[in-house]
This record gives sequence, C-alpha cells and structure tokens, in this order.
Amino acid sequence: MSATNGASGEAMLVIDGVHTYYGQIHALRGISLTVAQGEIVTLIGANGAGKTTTLKTVSGMLHPRAGRVRFEGDDISKLPAHKLVERGIGHAPEGRRIFPRLTVLENLQMGAFSRRDVKDLGPDLDRVFTLFPRLLERTAQLGGTLSGGEQQMLAIGRALMSQPRVLLLDEPSLGLSPILVQQVFETIKDINRQGTTVLLVEQNALQALSIAHRGYVLQTGEVVLTGSAESLRQNETVRKAYLGED
Amino acid sequence: MIASSVTTPRTRSGLNRSARIIGFAVGAIVVYVVLLWLALQVVDGFAPERALPVAIQQTINALSIGAIYALIALGYTMVYGIIELINFAHGDVFMIGAFLAVVLTGGIFGQTGGVKDVPFLALLLLVALLFVMPLTGGLNVFIERVFYRPFRHASRLAPLITAVGVSFILQNLALLVAGSGDRAAPQIFPLDWQIPFGGAEISVLSIFIFALALVLMLLLQTFVNRTRLGRAMRATAQDQQAASLMGVDLNQTIALTFLLGGALAGAAGVVWGLRFGFVRQDLGFNAGLKAFTSAVLGGIGNISGAVLGGFIIGFIENFASSLGFSRWSEFLVFMVLTLVLIFRPTGILGQQLGDRA
Ligand SMILES: Nc1ncnc2c1ncn2[C@@H]1O[C@H](COP(=O)(O)OP(=O)(O)OP(=O)(O)O)[C@@H](O)[C@H]1O
Ligand SMILES: [Mg+2]
Repeated sequence: MSATNGASGEAMLVIDGVHTYYGQIHALRGISLTVAQGEIVTLIGANGAGKTTTLKTVSGMLHPRAGRVRFEGDDISKLPAHKLVERGIGHAPEGRRIFPRLTVLENLQMGAFSRRDVKDLGPDLDRVFTLFPRLLERTAQLGGTLSGGEQQMLAIGRALMSQPRVLLLDEPSLGLSPILVQQVFETIKDINRQGTTVLLVEQNALQALSIAHRGYVLQTGEVVLTGSAESLRQNETVRKAYLGED
Repeated sequence: MIASSVTTPRTRSGLNRSARIIGFAVGAIVVYVVLLWLALQVVDGFAPERALPVAIQQTINALSIGAIYALIALGYTMVYGIIELINFAHGDVFMIGAFLAVVLTGGIFGQTGGVKDVPFLALLLLVALLFVMPLTGGLNVFIERVFYRPFRHASRLAPLITAVGVSFILQNLALLVAGSGDRAAPQIFPLDWQIPFGGAEISVLSIFIFALALVLMLLLQTFVNRTRLGRAMRATAQDQQAASLMGVDLNQTIALTFLLGGALAGAAGVVWGLRFGFVRQDLGFNAGLKAFTSAVLGGIGNISGAVLGGFIIGFIENFASSLGFSRWSEFLVFMVLTLVLIFRPTGILGQQLGDRA
C-alpha cells in the first residue's frame, strides 16, 4: 500500500459529496473535503454543524447514505469501524470515551488492539508517556477516576497506540484549563511533526487555526468556507462568527 | 525504557487482591461451618462433637452444589454484561449439556454406574468435558447468531421474548428426543467413595465437582483479566462503540462471550448428572432459575458476583436441607434475594459491567 497517495494521485483522505443521516435527521448535506498526507486540517463550525458526524462518517461509526469516503485510494464508506483502525484511521471521539473500569495501561493496550502481530508495545507506550508524563504516574489507575484533562490525554494517547496514519481528534481541548489547552495543541503539532496526518475538530477555532495548515467551516451540514488557516483567520465572517470578535 | 517500569505495581496489587479473596472465601466457609454446627445442635439436638463432622460434610456438599450454580450463573452474567440480555435459554443449554453427557457416557461408552478404575474414570470425565463443553458452547453461539443478533438494534424486549421462545424450543427438542420424565444418568464417579470423618462421610465426588469448578473459574478469570481478547471483552462491556473504534469486532466478541458461557454451562451439565443421577427436559428451568438468581444476587453483569451468588445459594439450600427443611430451601433462596435487592438493588457486588473478574 502506498503511504502517500492512492493510485489516482489524490489526497490521503477524500470525503466526496457525503450525506449522513441519523434516522430521518439529515445531518451531513453533501460534504466534500480532502486531507493530504502530512497536513493538519481543522473543521470549525457552530454547535450542531456536523463536525462530529463528519469524523464518525470517516471512522466508520456512521455510514453515508450517499457520497463516498476514500482513504489512500480505497472506498471505505461501507467498512465497519473495527476494520478502519487496522487500515490506519485513529479516532479520539467526542466525549473521550475512555473505558472507565480499565486501568490507564489497559486503555492504552486497547488502543493497540488492532495491531495483533505486535508483541512489544514498549516503544509505543514510551512515546505516549513522553507526550503525557502524567499518564505514567497513573498506569494502574482506573480510567474513570482520572481528571477530565487526564482523560483527554489518555484518549489522545490511546488513539496514538494504533499508530494511525490519520488521526481524527474531536474537541481535544474541551474542558481543559488554559495551560493544558496550550499543551494539547503543542502535542498535536508534535504528533503531526512525527508524521501523523491530523483532522482536527475544535470549538477553539483560533487555536485550531493557529496550528492547522488548512481549515473548513461547516454550517448545518455543509461546507460554507474553506482555505488556508491563515486566510480563514483573516476572514471577516469567520472572525465574527467563530473567533468571537466583533 | 519507561514502559518496563509499568507492569510492576499492577502485579503487586493483583496479588493483594487474590490474597483478600482467598481470605474472604476461607473466612466465609469457616463461618458457615460454625453456623451449621450450632444450628445442628440447637435445631436437631446433635451433640457438639457429633455435629462438627456433619457440618463439615455438609459444607463440602454445599460447595459442590454452589459450584454448579456458579458455573451456570457465569453464562447469564457474562451475556448480560456484554449485551444486557437476560438469556432465558441459558438454563436449557445447561440441560442439553447434561443430556449430551448421558449420551456420551451411557450411550457411546455404555457405562451404567461407578467406574473404580481411576485412570479410566479420569479419561471418561475428560472426554465428557471435551465433548460436551464445545458442543454447548457452540450451541450458545448458534443461538446468539440466529435468534438474538437480528434483534440487537431492536427494542430491549424483542430479544428477551425470543430468548423465552428458544428456551421452549430446547426443552421440546429434549422432550422429543428423550421423552418425558427422568432419564437415568450414569454416575460414573463412584458414589461410595467417601472419606470417613469422625462418624460422618465426606463425598469425594463433591470435592471433585468443587475442584473442577474452581479450575474452570480460574481459567476464565485468567482469560478475562490477562489476555488481549479478555480485555477486549471487558472493554466491549463498558463501551461497545469505543471498543469498535479500537478495532474490536463486536460480533466476534459477543460470540466469544456466548461460547464461554455455553461451555461453562456444559461443564455444569456434566457434573449435574454425576451428582444427581438423572436428567430431564425441565432441568434447565429449575437449575437455571437458581443460577439466574445467583447472578442477580451477586450483581448481574459482574463475574465475581455470579460466583459469590452461586455459592451463597448453594449454602442457603444446603443449610435448609441439612436441618431437614429441604422444602423451605426455595422459599429461603428467594427471601434472601428479595431482601438483598431491597437494600442493594444492584446486587451484592453491584452491576459493574466489564470489571476485572
Ligand atoms: N445520535 C443522534 N441522533 C440524532 N441526531 C443527531 C445525533 N447526533 C447528532 N445529531 C444531529 O446531527 C447534527 C450534527 O451533529 P454533530 O454532533 O455532528 O454536531 P457538531 O458540529 O459536532 O456539534 P458540537 O460542536 O455541538 O459538538 C445536529 O443537528 C445534531 O442534533
Ligand atoms: Mg461535536
């Protein structure tokens, strides 16, 4: 499998005219976006715009009723979530979803579940503990008893354990103190520098745009604006609506 | 390396935990012996020195019947833990297991009674377990695949009603093949193997049943706590969607849960015939109800709870029958259940789905 591009030479992840429903509710109304190898791309938008739904549609938690999701050239729209992890899509979902009664170490081991051939997780654990030294002090603690910020670190660390080629992060800074927010964004930059492509959903649009290469603005299930992070930061509408300026 | 320092604290706390559990178990058994010893004196007018051996003899019987309930209860609790379904057909899978053991030892091997040749007996028992456990495990997987999986995303009620239907199907299947009424089960484990003990006799069969159940439970515990798939089972019980995001195939994990539960029920079926000497198509209803009660008593969904509940029910039943009130044992069992649920609605150990066993 080619690490960069599919046979057609298109971007690593291509979302192409995707419509996703929750029963009768039409949540994504024909979304198209791309993420190229090595990029950090951010999705911003108001509550209920469809950011989480987009990530769920990529990781296989939801399946599009129309349109396609392609990853490294293959159509993955119909594959179940557990197959997509093996292919290299890591998803740290909204609300962290830590296993509350597994220990920190077991949560991280679960993160590596898809890599059945790997006997020694030492180097991967080392990497996570280097990014989040707090977790190392708490390996035997149950996930559910961690503080919110620690759970967030664990959620990101757990997703990294699958050695994803693209990492989907859904509001990784939610509920963190300002210092931790800063640290999480630094960490995302580090992860990206180490070679992982990132698709980042954030309420914290200013911060997200400061580390991203490109961004998409979503509104009621549609892409209403896209461009380089720099251009979005300068954009009048974005500044008013999402950066809290007036 | 940083990670190499990680495993040590967990192992140590694991040892502490085992020591606590063994301490609790020994303590509980001693308390029961003393209680029964006193009760035999007060209620039945035994002399103290005569009551003690009887109490010990009965305690070992209690452990063996409790072990059978616990083995069956594990299947109820694991399935509930992972898909929140009360598998009403589980008791009937146990019943099929008891029948299959009869088919093997009586039908195929032509045994009718005690086998005194120890190596041959050991071989027979091993073959019976290796024959019955995969079959009941497989049957349980089949039931899930055909009858429960199609309803997994339907209302909670649909699979529950299907489960009742499957229970009837299995009972009628047994009725069809074996006819109604008791069928003799070859008691290949000699009943006259008794250890004389101060005027009482301790049943070697009871010791065997308890020991076998203990081994199976320890294997299950090791699997659930220490293996990659066991961890995936616990994770799935805690958050199915998150587990699938880790690469866990839900269908496979659920099937594995049914396989393990069915196999343990099969083992219970094998020893049931040895101990009681008969099988009947409604066996699963009675024993299944007690085992289900055990699971609820301990906290349904909780693996340790099912074992605890099974032994508690075994002790209650044994207490009543030792004192000559067998007819009250059911009443006592359900009274204890009611009381526990009034004061602890989630059972003694609580509904900690997906906990370490
Ligand atoms: N499980 C669900 N069932 C029905 N509708 C849903 C469900 N989840 C989301 N929706 C709807 O789909 C739309 C998109 O929701 P989504 O969670 O993707 O928004 P979001 O952009 O992530 O918002 P937020 O910033 O609040 O997390 C919303 O209108 C929401 O109400
Ligand atoms: Mg969201």
